Amino acid sequence: MGPEISQFLSGMKKTVEQVVIPNLTDRFAQEQAGIVAATLGYLETIHDKVFHYELLENQLYKQLLASVITLIENDSSSSQKLNTTAESLKQHFKHDPSDENTALRAYPFIRASNEVMKESLCDIIQEQPEMPKALRDQFETLIKPFFKDIELRERAWVKGLGFDSEADQLPDIDELLYRDGKLALP
Amino acid sequence: MLSLQQRFPVESAINEIFIRKLRNRHVKVEHSMNFENLHETLTQFIKVQTGQSELFIENLQRLSGGASKEQFTFDLIRKSYNSDAPTTQRLMLRMDPTESVVETHRLREWQMLRAMQGEVPVPEVFWLDLEGEYLGQPAIVAGFLEGTVRPESKEDKMSGIGMYFEPYLRENLKGQFVEILAKIHRVNWREKDLSAFDVPQSNSTQANEWALNQLERAWQEDTTHAHPIMEQAAVWLRENMPVVENPVIIHGDYRSGNFMYDNNLNINAIFDWELAYLGDYHDDVAWASLSIFGGPDEQGNPLAGSLLPIEEFLERYEAASGFPVDRKRLFYYQLFSYYKMAVFTAATSLRVVYSKKTHLDAMMNFASGIGYICISELNRMLEQT
Repeated sequence: MGPEISQFLSGMKKTVEQVVIPNLTDRFAQEQAGIVAATLGYLETIHDKVFHYELLENQLYKQLLASVITLIENDSSSSQKLNTTAESLKQHFKHDPSDENTALRAYPFIRASNEVMKESLCDIIQEQPEMPKALRDQFETLIKPFFKDIELRERAWVKGLGFDSEADQLPDIDELLYRDGKLALP
Repeated sequence: MLSLQQRFPVESAINEIFIRKLRNRHVKVEHSMNFENLHETLTQFIKVQTGQSELFIENLQRLSGGASKEQFTFDLIRKSYNSDAPTTQRLMLRMDPTESVVETHRLREWQMLRAMQGEVPVPEVFWLDLEGEYLGQPAIVAGFLEGTVRPESKEDKMSGIGMYFEPYLRENLKGQFVEILAKIHRVNWREKDLSAFDVPQSNSTQANEWALNQLERAWQEDTTHAHPIMEQAAVWLRENMPVVENPVIIHGDYRSGNFMYDNNLNINAIFDWELAYLGDYHDDVAWASLSIFGGPDEQGNPLAGSLLPIEEFLERYEAASGFPVDRKRLFYYQLFSYYKMAVFTAATSLRVVYSKKTHLDAMMNFASGIGYICISELNRMLEQT
């Protein structure tokens, strides 16, 4: 496959920065072109990690949601809505099973499956005020470390956009995605 | 099943713009960057508003720097009332794009700018096209003021985020920054024409319910990605909502990037009143001191509004306003502020690009980086609860 995507991106960035911007006279156009150049530079740093990012999230969501389903099913006082969400998740896992080699799936399939799992988790989170205290406590114990991982991963993912005052202290996304040169699957 | 409108009741004017937004979303027309007809429509609009047929517009130009509205400057040339000699007036047009990173009501902005005349420095507003009858989109024409919003810096990001002021600028501007905020909160809004604002009940959570509902509804309508931390934050904000004893005018976006100063280092304008509402003064205090907005000093210490240390900001605010800053409430509104910023930058900004309804496609994608930092900060704050 050629040319490399990174070569396309770096070529466009250089052209925008060295040919287009110096010849623009309108401040609005200069401002927008500057953002285009910065975006191209950012894409160079992340484009080859998108698939693995989504694949890792796919596995992490499956692991978390399997535990959440067990929690809901073991609690006889779970609301109708919680039980319905748990049931729809089980149906979803027939479509995207946890024991399958998801890495062979196409990117749009993984991306869509992740979105279904995220929406289901959000539905369960919305139900927390109605949960019995014991169930809510157990649920929070499950999601807190999961949220911490999301926080670290997302912040590392966007640090190249240049907004983060903590960028120097944050890990690179590679450090969070890979262990010993391989995707750090759970 | 309840609709989002039923689940998240908001002020009536805000409800109007939510409905308008969704109607516009179904119209499959991309936002156009071509403004060659604007000269003619703007001229016609001002002729109707002034009743003067002999007037001209020159130097119509798009303004850089904003993030939510399309802004243009122009010179209006017309005869003055007491002389035949033509006068030139520099004006600014502030117009809704087809969909904005934050959907707001031009009448509310118009009324709030008028209410603030003589109270704090604001641009004078002249004409309002509320429904976009003349200009195609709702718009305000206001006076154009000369001054500096963003000092030149290598650290410039966008829309006032992480701005840097040299120490001499900070020393001159910081007191004004705090005093103007205190003045806004002390304005007697009951004496002003603010008919586009619903008045929340005192000694109740109603102001906060409306404010949170507005954001949750925007999140649910706009996001292209479900996010569990955002959902968790909304649950916490709803369960921990403080009572607002005496609602005051909240600017809603009070920070560096939304004020301008002149050559004598006097703040001569406070901008962007579109998010104003009646609520708890802690909201503005929290927003103004949010670390994501304020660039740090030379030693890396966080500054409120890129101007002064946060503790000094709070002390000065208490002294200037006479309102005590309750640290527990401040925590609530800091979390609320990160939630608000995340709705704008991780949901609506990406939606308006997805729908091709914005004039800032590249910027709105780029701004999502701020959104994910805000979501990270939300999680850190939730861990402390």
